[in-house]
Amino acid sequence: MKKTPERIEALAAEYVLGSLRGAARRRFEQWMMESARVRREVWFWEEKLGQLARDVPENQPPASVWKNIERRLWGAQQQPTQAEVRGIGRWFWPSWSVLATAAVLVLAVVLIQQPRPSGEQLSGAIVQANLEDPLWLVSESGAENLLKLRSIAASEAEAGKDYELWVVPEDGQPLSLGVIPAGGVHQVRLSDEARKALSQSRTLAISLEPRGGSPTGAPTGPILHVTKLYAL
Amino acid sequence: MAQTDADQDQLMRLLMKIAQQDRRAFQELYEHIAARMFGLCLRLAGQRELAEEALQDAFIQIWHRAGEYHSDRGAPLSWMMTIARYRTLDLIRARKARQTIGDEDLNELDDGREGPLEFSLRESGAEKLTGCLDELSDVQRDSILLSYYRGFTHEELAQALSSPIGTVKSWIRRGLMALKRCLEQ
Repeated sequence: MKKTPERIEALAAEYVLGSLRGAARRRFEQWMMESARVRREVWFWEEKLGQLARDVPENQPPASVWKNIERRLWGAQQQPTQAEVRGIGRWFWPSWSVLATAAVLVLAVVLIQQPRPSGEQLSGAIVQANLEDPLWLVSESGAENLLKLRSIAASEAEAGKDYELWVVPEDGQPLSLGVIPAGGVHQVRLSDEARKALSQSRTLAISLEPRGGSPTGAPTGPILHVTKLYAL
Repeated sequence: MAQTDADQDQLMRLLMKIAQQDRRAFQELYEHIAARMFGLCLRLAGQRELAEEALQDAFIQIWHRAGEYHSDRGAPLSWMMTIARYRTLDLIRARKARQTIGDEDLNELDDGREGPLEFSLRESGAEKLTGCLDELSDVQRDSILLSYYRGFTHEELAQALSSPIGTVKSWIRRGLMALKRCLEQ
């Protein structure tokens, strides 16, 4: 089904309302992964319809709810101490989240530090729902227009395939940053165009492509991961 | 309840801290919004057990996903309420556990004036969405609000409003688009 503006508009509203169900809902989530325009449309409705939620009368949940949250996150005995907390949390997802359904689907993760007023650098991680470690850590070195991917838990692409990295702009086609290896540290020099698109959208994607990369210049294989980077 | 900018700023600060794994901030957030969120979960689920589970799941997601929040996604509270709402709907669907529509809910529908939606909700919703809901037809507005607050499926709506499913779908679709046109003005 083509992503016409009318369809995006209608489906995003029904997605947020909840009346879009089943396979249609999952298909639409794939659209969300692929398109900033679709995500923005969803966010529009989440904000607007979210206003309705504020008028529902409050109701104090029983104390057991908080106890269970603590137990599920940190175990029964643990007291909250910062020292125990690793910089990157555990990637434990009890259930599907707003964007996450398909098995391949990956959740954007973020390492937010205190925002810096100037000279921002983008950083983030590409993670997979069922893995404890991120697949790649991503960091940007602003001065040299370099984007660095450090492989942590990424595994080799299937035979005859390669991973290809893309900048997903706010609008328009993804810009290829080339094929990336599953292991080691990989650096990509960003063109001015790619750098500009990335600083606006802060969104990267990884697709599975034929060996050597997409033959068309646009993603041809499944989009495996979409991640949003954050400014450090 | 009115949401002031100061409240939203505070929620934003808490989310930033939670993204850095600050458990104290997480607890503060819980104390701040749990009752409001539980009210919504309970309204949707119609039963406490499921609502409590949805609330737990929602906060666990918020803990993990705090760093994903950014201002394009709307106010912090809307974002978190959305997480809770989707989670509640998921649990309802997974278990088909929500109370079926009973006669009690239906008995005021025939005259076309009052439905299973409380008048207060309808009124406050209309006010929040800057009167745009008022511009919809009654059936469009009720279909949308019943879906939002009660998580009614198309089938349940068709039953509740004594109309064919196709008609109900069209009410929702046209109602939402009319709402958007109005909100964009």
